[in-house]
Amino acid sequence: MVAFDPQLLWNGVVVGSLIALAALGLTLLFGLLNFINIAYGEYLAWGAYIALGAKWADVPFILAIVLGAIGAGLIAVITDRIVFKQFSDRDPVVLLVVSIGVAFMLRNLIRVVYGGSTHFYNVGGEAPVVFGIRVLPAQVIIVTLSIVILAIVFLILNETRIGIAMRAASDDTDLARIRGIDTKRLVIYVSLIGGVIAGIAGVMLGIDSNINPTMGFLFLIPIFAAVILGGIGDPVGAVVGGYALGIGQNLSIIFIPSEYTPAFALLILIIGLLTRPSGLFGEATR
Amino acid sequence: MSQSPILEAEDVTKTFGGLVAVDDVSVSVESGEITGLIGPNGAGKSTLFNLMSGFYQVDDGVIQFDGTDVTTLRPEKRAKRGLIRTFQLTRELSGMTVMDNMLLGAQDNPGESVVSLLTDPRGVSDFEQTHQQRAEELLRYIELWDLRDEYAGNLSGGQRKLLELGRSLMSDPDLLLLDEPMAGVNPDLTDHLLDRIISLRDDQEMTFLIVEHDIQTIMSISDTVIGMHNGQILTVGNPDEVRQDEELLEAYLGGGVI
Amino acid sequence: MGLVSLQLLVLVANIAGIYSILAIGMNMHWGDTGLLNFAHAGFFAIGAYTSAILTTPASDSGLLANRIIGFDFPIAVGMITATVLAGVAGVLIGATSVRLDGDYLAIVTLAGAEILRLGISNEGWLTSGQQTLKNIPRPLEGALPSMLPYGFYYFLLVLAVLIACYLTFRYLAKSPFGRVLHAIREDEDVPKALGRNTMQFKLKSFGLGAAVAGLAGSLWAHFIFALQPTMFTPDLTFSVWAAVIIGGAGSYLGAITGMTVITLIRQVTRFIPSDVPLGSKLPYIRLIIIGALLVLILYYRPEGLLGNKERALAGMEEN
Repeated sequence: MVAFDPQLLWNGVVVGSLIALAALGLTLLFGLLNFINIAYGEYLAWGAYIALGAKWADVPFILAIVLGAIGAGLIAVITDRIVFKQFSDRDPVVLLVVSIGVAFMLRNLIRVVYGGSTHFYNVGGEAPVVFGIRVLPAQVIIVTLSIVILAIVFLILNETRIGIAMRAASDDTDLARIRGIDTKRLVIYVSLIGGVIAGIAGVMLGIDSNINPTMGFLFLIPIFAAVILGGIGDPVGAVVGGYALGIGQNLSIIFIPSEYTPAFALLILIIGLLTRPSGLFGEATR
Repeated sequence: MSQSPILEAEDVTKTFGGLVAVDDVSVSVESGEITGLIGPNGAGKSTLFNLMSGFYQVDDGVIQFDGTDVTTLRPEKRAKRGLIRTFQLTRELSGMTVMDNMLLGAQDNPGESVVSLLTDPRGVSDFEQTHQQRAEELLRYIELWDLRDEYAGNLSGGQRKLLELGRSLMSDPDLLLLDEPMAGVNPDLTDHLLDRIISLRDDQEMTFLIVEHDIQTIMSISDTVIGMHNGQILTVGNPDEVRQDEELLEAYLGGGVI
Repeated sequence: MGLVSLQLLVLVANIAGIYSILAIGMNMHWGDTGLLNFAHAGFFAIGAYTSAILTTPASDSGLLANRIIGFDFPIAVGMITATVLAGVAGVLIGATSVRLDGDYLAIVTLAGAEILRLGISNEGWLTSGQQTLKNIPRPLEGALPSMLPYGFYYFLLVLAVLIACYLTFRYLAKSPFGRVLHAIREDEDVPKALGRNTMQFKLKSFGLGAAVAGLAGSLWAHFIFALQPTMFTPDLTFSVWAAVIIGGAGSYLGAITGMTVITLIRQVTRFIPSDVPLGSKLPYIRLIIIGALLVLILYYRPEGLLGNKERALAGMEEN
């Protein structure tokens, strides 16, 4: 056992912001399209890499993030139109497998374009110690940016017509269709927004750790755990789940050796799935 | 012909969310009889079937099968004891052939144990042969013999109903719960099948509980008729008695679409 | 074609053969029973590490991670134990399928395998952790005529095991046992309504498929004579998966064919000289091709290369 350290709490909030944001994008997509999309991790990774490329081209960092976000959004829309749409009448299991194929392609495309090694954004700066907690400027960026983006997204979801339609369709696609919501166009919007969110989360993940080709895929487990925890298609749940996971994962260092902290998210995922009464599609057997 | 009930449901209740699908129902099915279960859509017939066969768990009440309390038993355990049911929307195992569907119906197949497969291949093939012959006889009777190697998913709706019936008969049930067994089946074959059901009752003392929307059919074949509405039993009696029941008539006229 | 090329051929053949045995196990899970098990690489790892630990005494040659546990049992003991242990793990993981189906089962099994891999990476006293577990003995090494590379003889062993597994699993699939598995794949309620304890059958399927993966793992360990956790990532599970689907889920010959095709694609870069343009990117391009192949096959030929087209289409057009 290790003593409680408020640093862990702060680190947890930072990671939690990352997971919460990424989980929000995923839950919106998940809720509407009804299949587990493994390629989501690659939208994240591509967002990070595009921003990296922009930074290498001496583009100011803020702009690089925007480019990364837009790029990821476009990739999400394109993969949906070109690939996933062709399988829309098939079993969700088939879509899962297709998404694995797409993820393979996207991830290795990164390696072809950028190579396989690890990179950094090098967002440096003074790290003041506040109340016994070392606060890195990178971490401040992550937390602030997350809150801003989350606020914007929730504003969209609650105040705009498109957002309300998205929420309705996420909740119950058939009912939404009956009410006249054009689900086909909605899919494009949701793909775009989901991809953009993923892209931003990817950049932030790159800031927090590093940029490497498997970053997206490895991050999928905590993201999924947060989505399952919060309830599929539930935006608030995903955010709450994300923070819970981030904080929980960091606090768990008190109890388990730090090499095993990834197991925290894994266990939450397993327990969360096993205790769910039923899913949207992968139904629990009676 | 024994007179004791083979199936008894006592004070059975099942609620979904706020909806009471089966409301404090007590009903019994007499052994060696054909019992018909009628009622408008939404009356709770399928729910009752699911409760009897174990696919739903009761919220309240007791289910007795053949003298034993089976209320907490899982569906496969009830099936092993001889309580077999068919499904309203056919479950025809599309990716398997008609013959394989039928053979699946035969219970206690030694070939399903990996150990027996390796140690007693002779016993396994003997069992298979015996039941292939049974399957052939049944398939000829329900006029599906020519389609025995066809994938079940390619059958027409009526043919799938027949397959489901044949498959459940392979299980040698003591009580067979049939959920709309004649839907989509042509009239000649329907008569053929009804004859078969009657002779199974007469010769082998098989008990049937049948849900069917064709009132004429039910009335003509049943020994006892049970009428349900809104999750409750409205009436129980022989076909003549039930025909007179005004409450039930109202339920049909005023209630759901048949 | 000198001895060097023969070595390469033999290497690729062994890899294809061992992975094909893996694919056979995967096919019982997915092709026969419809279980989406993403823990397969984990069973492979259990088999490999079990066999290695049982047959390789711990030495103090490692710099950081010091493996303490090690035995000196004969290779046959290692292989049998590996198979049994992996089978047991399969049954344990299979218990999660009592509540889960389809894609959820996939995620849970994936999480389970990742926890296992974490364990392997961290418990260096048992597995050498992230360092390489070295000096795994190879059967009959040094005792065979040296005019042919060792790998050639090993391939004979792999081939024998592959054929035995193929015949066994095909027999199981065509048996009444297989029939119940197929029924579970199509609609689990039906065999239940006909008196079958479907949970037991699923556990058996999990166990058998995992055991075969464990056997493949031990063959791998004694061939490659050094192990690292990076050999057992989800990427491997997905590759085997893609192979089974591309080859034709439900067909054991299809699983073997698909795995051979995928292995050839992945290994083909060994045969191409490195000064070809884009040469350094070829390993990644081949994976892109595999991904694309998976999507295309699923679209145009969902039954896979050797699968049963009729069966795949049966029931799709509503009458």
